[in-house]
Amino acid sequence: MSIHRRTNKLFEGALVKEALKQSFVKLDPRIQFRNPVMFTVELCTIFMLGVCIWIMNGEASQGSLLYNIIITAILLLTLLFANFAEALAEARGKAQANSLRKTREDTPAKKIFPVGEMYVNEMKVVPSSQLAKGDIFLCEAGDTIPMDGEIIEGIATIDESAITGESAPVIRESGGDKSSVTGGTKVLSDKIKVRVTTEPGESFLDKMIALVEGASRQKTPNEIALTILLAGFTLIFIIVCVTLKPFGDYASTPITIAAFISLFVCLIPTTIGGLLSAIGIAGMDRALRANVITKSGKAVETAGDLDTLLLDKTGTITIGNRKATHFWPEKDIDENVFAEACVLASIADETPEGKSIIELAETKQVKKPFCKMIK
Amino acid sequence: MNTEILGVLLMYLLTVALAIPLGRYIGKVFESDRTWLDRLFNPVDKTFFKLGGIDPKKEMNWKQHLSALLTINLVWFLLSMFVLMNMGWLPLNPDGNPSMTADLAFNTSVSFVTNTNLQHYSGETGLSYLGQLILMLWQFISAATGIAICAVVFRAMKEKTTDKLGNFYSYLVRSATRILFPLAVVVALILAFNGTPMNFEGKAQYVSMQGDTVNVSRGPAAAMIAIKQLGTNGGGYYGPNSAHPLENPNYFTNIVENLSILLIPIALVFALGYVIKRKKIAWMVFAVMTLGFLLLLFNAVYFEMKGNPAIAKMGIAQPLGSMEGKEVRFGPAASAYWGVTTTVTSNGSVNSMHDSFTPLAGMSALLGMMINSFYGGVGVGFLNFYIFIIIAVFISGLMVGRTPEFLGKKIEAKEMKIAAIIALLHPLLILAGTALSSYLYAHNPAAYAGWLNNPGNHGFSEMLYEFTSSSANNGSGFEGLGDNTPFWNIACGIVMLLARFLPIIGPVAIAGILAKKKYIPESAGTLKTDTGTFGIMVFVVIFIVAALSFFPALALGPIAEYFGMK
Repeated sequence: MSIHRRTNKLFEGALVKEALKQSFVKLDPRIQFRNPVMFTVELCTIFMLGVCIWIMNGEASQGSLLYNIIITAILLLTLLFANFAEALAEARGKAQANSLRKTREDTPAKKIFPVGEMYVNEMKVVPSSQLAKGDIFLCEAGDTIPMDGEIIEGIATIDESAITGESAPVIRESGGDKSSVTGGTKVLSDKIKVRVTTEPGESFLDKMIALVEGASRQKTPNEIALTILLAGFTLIFIIVCVTLKPFGDYASTPITIAAFISLFVCLIPTTIGGLLSAIGIAGMDRALRANVITKSGKAVETAGDLDTLLLDKTGTITIGNRKATHFWPEKDIDENVFAEACVLASIADETPEGKSIIELAETKQVKKPFCKMIK
Repeated sequence: MNTEILGVLLMYLLTVALAIPLGRYIGKVFESDRTWLDRLFNPVDKTFFKLGGIDPKKEMNWKQHLSALLTINLVWFLLSMFVLMNMGWLPLNPDGNPSMTADLAFNTSVSFVTNTNLQHYSGETGLSYLGQLILMLWQFISAATGIAICAVVFRAMKEKTTDKLGNFYSYLVRSATRILFPLAVVVALILAFNGTPMNFEGKAQYVSMQGDTVNVSRGPAAAMIAIKQLGTNGGGYYGPNSAHPLENPNYFTNIVENLSILLIPIALVFALGYVIKRKKIAWMVFAVMTLGFLLLLFNAVYFEMKGNPAIAKMGIAQPLGSMEGKEVRFGPAASAYWGVTTTVTSNGSVNSMHDSFTPLAGMSALLGMMINSFYGGVGVGFLNFYIFIIIAVFISGLMVGRTPEFLGKKIEAKEMKIAAIIALLHPLLILAGTALSSYLYAHNPAAYAGWLNNPGNHGFSEMLYEFTSSSANNGSGFEGLGDNTPFWNIACGIVMLLARFLPIIGPVAIAGILAKKKYIPESAGTLKTDTGTFGIMVFVVIFIVAALSFFPALALGPIAEYFGMK
């Protein structure tokens, strides 16, 4: 498994389109209600709309119609932008799960058709997504097992480190209680015939994908506390704006409704309130770019609180083996010299570390001839 | 640099120099460590405890602390009401001053029990000596209450996980006997030797050079003035407060009195460092408070020394600065310094008339009370600051992506809820009160004509100031306001009550809840709360909460007046 950095652009056409649609759908007060700050902005917008209609019917004390319409439009744009930010973040989250599923579905499977086009037991390569329960497929050394199943013929060593974290290969054979194999693991030697035991979408990996994707946004404890704080600030500024009315009366300065509402929206923490839900998703997105799958914004937050990380064995869907990924020479030391020294030190080392160091040196093309020579 | 400014500098530096060792001493008193006054006061304390049937060793949790505080405050309030409404026939009334009306007695009792000392009466004609003495007693007790509850919060801020936070009565008595009383004796002696009256005789009479007969009120003034300054009470013996020549006879007593205003509030910050054994946090708090204080001070001193633009327009030179409403023996700089110290600390005594300050200097005074935590009242000033710390910790915790922690305790939704309510309360009381009075005045100016001596923006400032002063438990006034009416007495009384006790309950609850939480040792990722960066964060939070919520009101009051005068 190689580490590949995802280079998603911030604005992808499809995502933007979906987010735009969602930003209107999210204007529904029932959805907005969950975010008190933006909900008050929405109320203000509706109210301003009323004021505009009032002016159209001949009210003269509230300023010009154009001015009021502009204020209403700005409020609406503010709402839409907040919704857009959230929807975009959500859409990106979904897109990532989709891409994960896609790679999963694209795993080629050597399906065996009992009655094929030309022969009996004809073998044909199909995408794993087309495997149904009861189908039989073949796996040879080097293949990735496309689907959870049960070995019906043969014996093989399988690297299950991606699922279990156990780096030593295990032996699986037909019959007995060691006959099941898991999708996503890798056959290291020999050849097995496997019968699919799960429906599409129910395999182990599918469940994991669902976990990532279905990470429905739970509110994190901090988010709850922040909402309280923002609601508090919003209340303060409601007081500020409401009391301004008698103050204005005292100073004999009438203040228009539009001015009150603009002042209010400027004062309340609209920015944080509007982007709050996007923040959690952005956090998950950031973690995913570092190849860490977080189930929720809450998990990202917990991750921020970690002081010490204790590892039992390598994780569930990681490479499962210790592997060298970088040479980190000290200052003033040439990387080539350093890599060479590492290689020399590891030639006789048969452990995964030793092997991976030499592999790394090769990929880095550090003195390739030298590496070849020692091979 | 002129001598007036040097005088201000001297006063401030002297205060800080005295506050640092005093803070250490107060810390020892809180921790029941041995001090040199123990031998003198241990028997006194024991007598109190024996009389009250109190076991000073019995530890209380935060709820018990609060119920003890509220109960005894209620008793004091009722007693005070009784005395004020009946002092006409009670003893110690040589001048024959009458009893108070119910609404005025309510306002005065609330005002003294809550450490506000808003005075809608004039001491020399409105109170008997018994009335003055009972109010003096509240000045000790309400200040001691503030210090005691502050000690509880300090105790809760310690590292250990516990709900046992010491004994409230023990803190209360010790604060009174070990901190307030000795200091008050010293200050009262200095004042008495400089000419402030200290006796129980009635009015003195003399015939002036013009041949008029003048009556001079006397009484136990020196004692009352000492504690009114030290306990951030501010309720003067005479109507004009410390501008009165018998309350504040000369520049030296002015230094002593002004120093007493700031002394304990600053010392308490250093006491925090001693109690929780983290001096750096105390210095951070001190630095933030000082920064805010100095900003307000510069503004006030600058505009007072510059003089009044309206007078300058008439072609009159003002080499002394703005002298309207000020005493010649103090001058504008010392008056402005007093004006700012008394408002930031919720003291409320005055040595010049704040009503006559230039508009922006008046705004400094207003802002000092609106923020109410740059040093703040004894004990409660820190509690207000504590709320701002909690909010700042929370916001900056989110910025660095960790669950916010303060002194090793996690701050969660419940604490934030309390902090938000308390941060909300002060603007609510001030703005809603002012809005109510502006509404009444704007819709029926004829009926309420007696309220305002000045029309327009200044009149607005007067109403705003009155409610700000009540809500900050300050007690100073823009005296242009005709405030001895049922509306002002009752409205301000209610505001004072809410603004005193809710901001005590909130922080104590937060501190109590935090104290019970598990202590998380500091690690490399912990947000450091004793750094300059965090200090700036706290300052910004204070600035945003205060500036944004009060700016519209200030714009219609002092700021509009300032531009109107130009």
